[in-house]
Amino acid sequence: MDALGFSSGPLEPERYRDALADPSAGGYASFEGWVRDHNEGRTVQRLEYEAFEALAIKEGERIVAEAVARFGVTRAACVHRVGELGIGELAVWVGVSAVHRGEAFAACRYIIDEVKHRLPIWKKEHYTDGDSGWVNCERCAAAGEAHSLAPVHDYSRQTALPEVGAAGQAKLAAASVLVVGAGGLGVPVLQYLAAAGIGRIGIVDGDVVEASNLHRQPLYGVADLGRPKVEVAAERLRALNHDVRIEPHAMHATAENIDALVAHHDLVIECTDNFRAKFLVSDAVVRAMKPAVFASVHQYEGQVQVYRPLPHWPCLRCLWPEAPRDGMVGNCAEAGVLGPVPATLGALQAMQALKRLLGLDAGEPPSLVMVDLLSLETRRLAAQRHPACDHENPGAAAAPQVVPLELEYTTLAAALESGLELVDIRETWERAHDPPGLQIPTHLPLSALVNGYLEFPAEGRYLVICAHGVRSLSLTEHLRAHGQAEVYSLRGGLAALRS
Amino acid sequence: MIDIEVQYFAVLRERAGASREQVQTGATTAAELYDQLAARHDFGLPRAMLRVAVNEEFTEWSRPLAAGDRVVFIPPVAGG
Repeated sequence: MDALGFSSGPLEPERYRDALADPSAGGYASFEGWVRDHNEGRTVQRLEYEAFEALAIKEGERIVAEAVARFGVTRAACVHRVGELGIGELAVWVGVSAVHRGEAFAACRYIIDEVKHRLPIWKKEHYTDGDSGWVNCERCAAAGEAHSLAPVHDYSRQTALPEVGAAGQAKLAAASVLVVGAGGLGVPVLQYLAAAGIGRIGIVDGDVVEASNLHRQPLYGVADLGRPKVEVAAERLRALNHDVRIEPHAMHATAENIDALVAHHDLVIECTDNFRAKFLVSDAVVRAMKPAVFASVHQYEGQVQVYRPLPHWPCLRCLWPEAPRDGMVGNCAEAGVLGPVPATLGALQAMQALKRLLGLDAGEPPSLVMVDLLSLETRRLAAQRHPACDHENPGAAAAPQVVPLELEYTTLAAALESGLELVDIRETWERAHDPPGLQIPTHLPLSALVNGYLEFPAEGRYLVICAHGVRSLSLTEHLRAHGQAEVYSLRGGLAALRS
Repeated sequence: MIDIEVQYFAVLRERAGASREQVQTGATTAAELYDQLAARHDFGLPRAMLRVAVNEEFTEWSRPLAAGDRVVFIPPVAGG
């Protein structure tokens, strides 16, 4: 049967129950919601349910999938009635079969609670006095919570800390955090912040889950391959903690969107894997005067830096006045990394963020903390504002160029017709699996260009191409900065062409 | 000649083949020391892209060196 269905006729729990039977299941739990004859002191005669079915089915299927994943049950389903119902009729049915009863009850409870909270279903009550009124079920659920079970999330192990307490927990619940990048650093950041009960978490990431991510981003699984990271992350984090509002933004941070995103949050955590985004975020938090936590990893090492909008605190540009170009130093794809390295640095970022939100970092001077996971050494290097770094006008020296750096094409044929010579700068091993129709004859691997084994041709008009458009953009910027006017980067790289 | 303790990170560690070394040098500033070591280990990264810290504090490349100083060369890192 469908995970979530609507029925305009009477529900048939016996039939649904049989559909959940499975030889491996040791039990079945079900919930039935009935039409009762009163609500908020008024006598109800009959009801009408109306649903925005297309949306409700999609969201309902998501809820059931969450319950199956979260509680490890065998099968689960929900059927909701629409149309006119009389007193005593079955309005909603939830059923779960599982190996053990504990998961079955828990999943059943989860599904009905989430259905009532999240599905766009409206209820019209007809009262005995002839009056009637529409009631959104979200409000029914909110009213019902007063007599529901104790809250699922219990923060007592953190509020027990004298420095946190109930007041600290209230600060976290009132806080909003923007996490830019939901990869190796972002995953532990998101998990620990959601678990800690941060009130609202925005997630920015334009990537989909790839098989090569899984070893260091265990929030995602094999079944999530190809799905937008923010969508999967939002699903998992909502299941982790109902108290937290998760706001997914399926896009990369850009000069156009970053200020609006930063403006809507109290603190920003930068978890991307490229300098462009890191400097973009740094400039934005300096402009908005918001605190931020930066981190980066390289193989077995990492760096963490907190920015605070105080006069003597350095931003990222204060530390690195010569904005480094992507591809000059390795990222995870090129240099390799063990999962616990970004996990450790991400956990440090989450800790720094909690300290900032709780006010536990008063004695901490501005610094860059370096962590070496091979030697298990950490080193704090005191850092200062760079006198030449203009915090009134951050990133002014790196103002965007008038000629676009990137060009957009949807097919390789269209790119070929542009009159530009196509240059593939991916590494040789990356080209090995290309389908024959997608082979770009001119191949100048970025590593060879960076190391000076190959020279980028000085004359001509070129479209530089890599896998996702990050390295090609860096190289394009670099070439433009060195006087080469007619070089462009293929936006989104080969991935954009294929899709 | 003075004794300096040098520590490397990330790309520099890979190129140097060690995370730290004790060097005897005639270099008088952090910049001179980097240039000597860059030539020896073929670092291939321009000094302008790096930061130097002496005795746990970020500092200018022109900073004079003293015997026993702990020098760290730090390349920017972007992975995540």
